[in-house]
Amino acid sequence: MPWQPILFILMAGGFFGYSGYRFALLYRLARSQKGKAPLRWDRIPERIGATIVNVLGQKAVMQKPLVGIMHAMIFWGFIVITTGTLEQFATTLFPSFELESIMGLGAYSSLVMVQDLFTAFVLLGVLFSFYRRIVLKPKHLGQSSDAFLVLTFTGGLMVSIFLMNAFHILGYQPIYTESMLMSKNVAAVLSSMNLSQETYVGLATLFKWIHMTLVMGFAAYIPTSKHLHIVAAGPNTFLKSLDRAKGMIPINFEDESVTQYGAAKITDLSWKDALDYFSCTECGRCQEVCPAWNTEKPLSPKKLILDLNHQLFDYKAAITAGKTDELPNLIDKNITNDVIWACTTCRACEIACPVFIGHTDKIYEARRNLVMMESSFPAEVQTVFKNMETNYTPWAFAASERANWSQGLDIKTMADQPAYDVLLWVGCAGSYDERNKKVMKAFVNILNKSGVKFAILGNEEQCTGDSARRIGNEYLFQTLAKANIETLNRYNVKNIVTACPHCFNTLKNEYKDFGGNYEVFHHSQFISKLIADGKVKPTQTLNAKVTYHDSCYLGRWNDVYTQPRSAIAAIPGVQMVEMKSHHDQSMCCGAGGGRMWMEEHLGRRVNVTRTEQALDTGASIIASACPFCMTMMSDGVKMKEKADKVQVLDIAELVSQSI
Amino acid sequence: MAKVLIVAEHRDGKLKKVSFELLGLAAQAGQEVHALLLGEGVAGLASELGHYGAGKVHVVESAALKFYSAEAYSKAVVQIAKNLGAEVILAGHTPTGREFMPLVAARLGVGLASDCTQISLAGGKIQARRPVYSGKATAEVEFLGGGAQLATVRANAIGIPKPDTSKKAEVVTASADLGALKTKVLEMVKGAMGRPDVTEASIVVSGGRAMKSAENFKIIEEMADSLGAAVGASRAAVDAGYRPHRDQVGQTGKTVSPALYIACGISGAIQHLAGMRTSKTIVAINTDPQAPIFQVADYGVVGDLFTLVPLLTQEFKKLKEH
Repeated sequence: MPWQPILFILMAGGFFGYSGYRFALLYRLARSQKGKAPLRWDRIPERIGATIVNVLGQKAVMQKPLVGIMHAMIFWGFIVITTGTLEQFATTLFPSFELESIMGLGAYSSLVMVQDLFTAFVLLGVLFSFYRRIVLKPKHLGQSSDAFLVLTFTGGLMVSIFLMNAFHILGYQPIYTESMLMSKNVAAVLSSMNLSQETYVGLATLFKWIHMTLVMGFAAYIPTSKHLHIVAAGPNTFLKSLDRAKGMIPINFEDESVTQYGAAKITDLSWKDALDYFSCTECGRCQEVCPAWNTEKPLSPKKLILDLNHQLFDYKAAITAGKTDELPNLIDKNITNDVIWACTTCRACEIACPVFIGHTDKIYEARRNLVMMESSFPAEVQTVFKNMETNYTPWAFAASERANWSQGLDIKTMADQPAYDVLLWVGCAGSYDERNKKVMKAFVNILNKSGVKFAILGNEEQCTGDSARRIGNEYLFQTLAKANIETLNRYNVKNIVTACPHCFNTLKNEYKDFGGNYEVFHHSQFISKLIADGKVKPTQTLNAKVTYHDSCYLGRWNDVYTQPRSAIAAIPGVQMVEMKSHHDQSMCCGAGGGRMWMEEHLGRRVNVTRTEQALDTGASIIASACPFCMTMMSDGVKMKEKADKVQVLDIAELVSQSI
Repeated sequence: MAKVLIVAEHRDGKLKKVSFELLGLAAQAGQEVHALLLGEGVAGLASELGHYGAGKVHVVESAALKFYSAEAYSKAVVQIAKNLGAEVILAGHTPTGREFMPLVAARLGVGLASDCTQISLAGGKIQARRPVYSGKATAEVEFLGGGAQLATVRANAIGIPKPDTSKKAEVVTASADLGALKTKVLEMVKGAMGRPDVTEASIVVSGGRAMKSAENFKIIEEMADSLGAAVGASRAAVDAGYRPHRDQVGQTGKTVSPALYIACGISGAIQHLAGMRTSKTIVAINTDPQAPIFQVADYGVVGDLFTLVPLLTQEFKKLKEH
């Protein structure tokens, strides 16, 4: 038996065996995770489609075009070149194997040409990546020796291919030489060495073995490298949340066998969370868009994922042995309380992530443990919980005063059993906050002028519980949710409109888990439809520059971007300008995820930073579509001492003024 | 006559007014009034308790009681109460009272009526009213079953009786075995404050962002001092660094309910209203007549606080002189 197959079997057995052993460890670590993973085995054809578009089509990576193209060249090259590597393995193992005679010369020449071209593309991609990491150094990328090792591996693979091919051309003069557009030029350069035919053949074999050794070495290195994403990102894409809307995973409080709520330890998270860490390639896009990170809070979504991954590996022995008692608390010197509480759940990280990691899921589980198991949360939240429990609103106002805002407006409550088209869900801000009461009155004016018949729940309405849920008090959320659903179902409510994106998201996407199924509209959708249908006509001119601030729970969580803008644009005279970040890239006002109710002790103010972006547009009106954004942006304008020049108005107020 | 034990509260060698209120209540109800003094070097305070109606003052002196601690206090109160056979135990609904009294109740295995705003001891039984649902309703409570009856009573709820210096209490030195304590208070660190805390003061003067600087708060401080009031601030003023966070009144700060709240240059965002709107009388000074603060104010002045506040301070000072 010739030496090549024997050496190959020995090496492949060693390298791939070691690689397989390390992958098995990853599998065992993921399987040891006890938390509840989202059920994502439905709608298989759509999942396959999403995987094709985002993995093969590189759509999510292309959110950043230049880097996206760089990545795509390397990725597609990897696919194409793998065919060559497999052929190489086959011919080494079975010297009589000839792909050329199986495919036919024409097809084979084409394949060789494509492989040869992509080798060059990959090399270009790798060179650009080196340039980017050494010269451009984008902040969010960070320093990573792992990254340089991966690039060196990849670059080495490509260089070895070219040298192997060039010496192959010189040694064998294969019939498809002309198809190897790149390698033949390398060969032309190398021919100046004037070596013997045998030496060229020998060098071709040498570089083939160098290339194969690199491939096998890479395979063994991957499982503990950030390059693991080439294995994990595909499945993670398949398992992504197909819809923008994504409700939090409910906890079943009736199940008495559950003794742990949320994640106290790394193993309290789910296998899907582990797959998320394995998919992370440390690109830092999440960190780049994070409003907490960008205002000097200790939270970086990227670092959070890496720190979780480190915990998994640091305690792999205890985890795989099932000794969870030996595991430390999830909150440690890296994942601090401040990290967990800094998140506004704006979801910019998740949208930016090219491999569909669910960062907020981890934050939620950590908070659930802190709140429900350890009773450890910012002191000011205690008041919020107490108010929600006793007054059904986060603010210290009486439940019996909820409907007071509507006095004198001749608004029917559901208890009056009126004929109505839609239920107006007022929300706590619209009910109690003087500023947002004005928004509510403006919206009521629009509804009245449009002839839409509506009613409110009045004092029967309670807080939807959004803030409680995001802060981690699932029990309080479910208490409020169940009470509201009982009321809504008692009145057989079908259609709901609300001016609060947080109420909107909860009513629409989260109440269905508890038996509340409704058609829910945000008032921006409703108003833009009324305008489109000609039910209301904005006629009064507003000669002003307006910039619209996207609410996270309207935009990123529910994909509503155009209707608020079209409602404003329908007002004659309005000139709309966009801030430097908008739509999917919009920056949070700082109030989401229950941050509305917490003090901001660290770093700069999120709301002031966002307000500065709004002021930079030169707009005299900042349009908002969310009561929390309204509060944050109004405060921001006051803090920038621009309140005399710049107004913050809800889209309902803008349209109401114009009709 | 029921044996009523009142846990006297003191700080910095001075008795708290709420203790006098409780003594007066018990004495007027014709009960056997016992007071309990816990601390180190506090025996000197005993005679004053007598002036307000204590028949007998039990003094427990111990190094472990030098500083207040819920654990040591509750253990001492339980032992004295048991030895005495106290039927009613009362304390002020103060930060300390609301901490150690539930522990006393737990150790005795009895109930506690906390935060009482009205209380009667007729017939040696507690009958009290306490606010529930954020003050939206009042519950009238009395005790069923046996055992001691415990209550904490809000300061200023009863009123202080006139002291009678001719009245002398019998002072007995008692001892209590505190056992091994799990907590030890090493020292008390005080915030630098001469004025009352916003949550305790019966008058609060607050300033908002319109104060424009920390130095300008001087006029608010002067007004507060002329009234014996606490100084409060809106979140905006705290954020701007004009005042420390402990002065912040509002949703994320302190919730206050003073007899008089004077809001200067505060627009009245819900964040602020949530912390002060239950004040008995609210006075607002603001340049913007549309400011939401006027929705909750009993008296509103549209005007410049920098003119009005010093003028008012002068008037308050004059009133004091008379």
